[in-house]
Amino acid sequence: MSTTPTDARAVVEPTNEETEFVFFSGKGGVGKSTVSCATATWLADNDYETLLVTTDPAPNLSDIFGQDIGHEVTAIDDIENLSAIEIDPDAAAEEYRQETIEPMRQLLDDEQLETVEEQLNSPCVEEIAAFDNFVDFMDSPEYDVVVFDTAPTGHTIRLMELPSDWNAELEKGGSTCIGPAASMEERKQDYERAIDTLQDDERTSFAFVGKPEDSSIDEIERSASDLGDLGIESQLLIINGYLPDSVCEDPFFEGKHEDEQAVIERARTDFDADAMATYPLQPGEIAGLDLLADVGGVLYDGDEATVDVGTATDGDTETAIDFESMADAEAVADQLRPGDETQYLFFTGKGGVGKSTIASTAATKLAEAGHETLVVTTDPAAHLEDIFGERVGHEPTSVGQANLDAARIDQEKALEEYRTQVLDHVTEMYEDKEDTQIDVDAAIANVREELESPCAEEMAALEKFVSYFDEDGYDVVVFDTAPTGHTLRLLELPSDWKGFMDLGSLTKGAAPAKGDQYDEVIETMKDPERSTFAFVMYPEYTPMMEAYRAAADLEDQVGIETSLVVANYLLPEEYGDNAFFEKRRAQQQEYLGEISDRFDVPMMLAPLRQDEPVGLDELRAFGAEITGLDDITEETEPEVTAS
Amino acid sequence: MTELTLYEEAMCCSTGVCGPDPDEELVEVSAALDQLEAEFENVDVSRANMQHNIDQFLETQPISDLVEEHGPSILPITVVDDEIVAKSEYLSYDELAAALDAATPTQEA
Repeated sequence: MSTTPTDARAVVEPTNEETEFVFFSGKGGVGKSTVSCATATWLADNDYETLLVTTDPAPNLSDIFGQDIGHEVTAIDDIENLSAIEIDPDAAAEEYRQETIEPMRQLLDDEQLETVEEQLNSPCVEEIAAFDNFVDFMDSPEYDVVVFDTAPTGHTIRLMELPSDWNAELEKGGSTCIGPAASMEERKQDYERAIDTLQDDERTSFAFVGKPEDSSIDEIERSASDLGDLGIESQLLIINGYLPDSVCEDPFFEGKHEDEQAVIERARTDFDADAMATYPLQPGEIAGLDLLADVGGVLYDGDEATVDVGTATDGDTETAIDFESMADAEAVADQLRPGDETQYLFFTGKGGVGKSTIASTAATKLAEAGHETLVVTTDPAAHLEDIFGERVGHEPTSVGQANLDAARIDQEKALEEYRTQVLDHVTEMYEDKEDTQIDVDAAIANVREELESPCAEEMAALEKFVSYFDEDGYDVVVFDTAPTGHTLRLLELPSDWKGFMDLGSLTKGAAPAKGDQYDEVIETMKDPERSTFAFVMYPEYTPMMEAYRAAADLEDQVGIETSLVVANYLLPEEYGDNAFFEKRRAQQQEYLGEISDRFDVPMMLAPLRQDEPVGLDELRAFGAEITGLDDITEETEPEVTAS
Repeated sequence: MTELTLYEEAMCCSTGVCGPDPDEELVEVSAALDQLEAEFENVDVSRANMQHNIDQFLETQPISDLVEEHGPSILPITVVDDEIVAKSEYLSYDELAAALDAATPTQEA
């Protein structure tokens, strides 16, 4: 439908003497790179000196522009006024760590250095390093406009805002949880300036890119409200990849099309942005200057989108996905079924890939097969309630299916539990020391204040996560992990904290009591007999690369191997009988092959549905289709729920 | 002005409440230092840990010598006006107070 391109244009087009900044925020796979490239290209074509900065760990700028770019600012050959740079966030984090460690080499031996290094291997450090990338380019007077294909999150900005409180903190010589105060002090002014600029809506535009799906819009609303709390207004919403009306020729896709348009309408009414724009799904991937120009034209000049499906199949009619050869139902079922001990299943992957549904489906089938099953979500959006149509709370409760309980980690409650636990501990500790002249109340008040930190939130979530390993009476615990990088953080933290505790115990003797419990959890997660890590994705470039990198990180950093992949949203054969969907299917087929090569583990294949399964009946039916567990479910009569 | 400085090993948070369990020693020493700073006029308390304040270690010859020789197990080191009053352990509130009492009135150092 007719977009309001002039509004979008007003958001991104520079109006000041000073350099302006455009940040594109959004989940992987929504087309953020495409939109950033198209925006940068459009700006350059309109005679603005433009720099495009990508911090995507698996950048595909070179595919899009047909030219190698890399870590140096590089002029784009065919576009005047446009330069681009790809920053590797991992390399940036490593550089930051090395800079921190370098001076310690004089005093510490290799082993000691290694411990410090491990400690620096923390999500906090990565966030600082990532923020540094923004800061570096927020002083670029030679450009009229700088386009970033990523944006700092509310969480990062909150971390970096701490500098305002640092003066007090630094004078005390204390240290914050977020890194080397000394080295940050030098950059304090840069950080402050960067944050001021971020909050200045004359100079900085925040734009969100999403898909025409409810979950995508919900996610954006959450992120935007996070930023709003920090005085940063989201000015532009771009919904990318809706099904073009002209190619939806059967009830299945007509229905999908309608759903998407309803989401777009909802976003238009609900989302409080100055401008909104949409761009349709293309039959192929968006690369090359012509398509970029098309995107820019649609978003900023009000042009009609060109969807060129070309001729149907150019000689390659063998595009049907060979489900049979790719999906080995028995191998998949093997990964899901518990052995003698409790089995832990982790369904991980980025937001919007359908993790909650897959996790709930697997859990339902396992329960149906007679295994006592608990499904846990760490997702703040709590999709489990929608999926099961039952209340899901902080403590495990039945969701109607025999043998099946569900629970949702409530961050606030978890944090309260953690605070109480720490304060009790400290209070008790002082009770045993009657001889000191210490002001116990003041000491406890201090601790209480310290517990108001982002680190405390992380710890609280981790504590709760670990506690589910102690839940008795389950044969299987299924984790539907949080949809952001938060998941990995949770999973990585046990190792980080272990490093932290080892370090602490170097001089302080006894390791904290929690150490053993954490060790056990890590051991369990590492044991392929007891834990299954399943990556959920859909067969497209960015989701595949993100999953692949996350899997590699898990293996490198924690020593956990991925043992299952779930390829979701496969286009059904029976609908979409035209050139457009033929091409989409061919593309999915190609990525399925690549996923299979890259991961080399059993693959669960899940088709795109008219609607997501809701309620136990639909979950069971869907599970029968995808989990390979049906052959073991026979004759299992529902019993009275025990737990 | 009397200066009380604590040289500590590399750590994430010196407050002691940044892990799964609070670190009792760190909680205690943090509270003790706060209280001392409030109670003693003319006492300046500062803490340096190797991760966050490595420069301070390197610039303070006696400290860097000690760490180089013995490794980080020599930490924490408590210094009152350039004089090392404790090594390898944290002092209690009472001990710290005594050390400050000794240094404050006479100003020998």
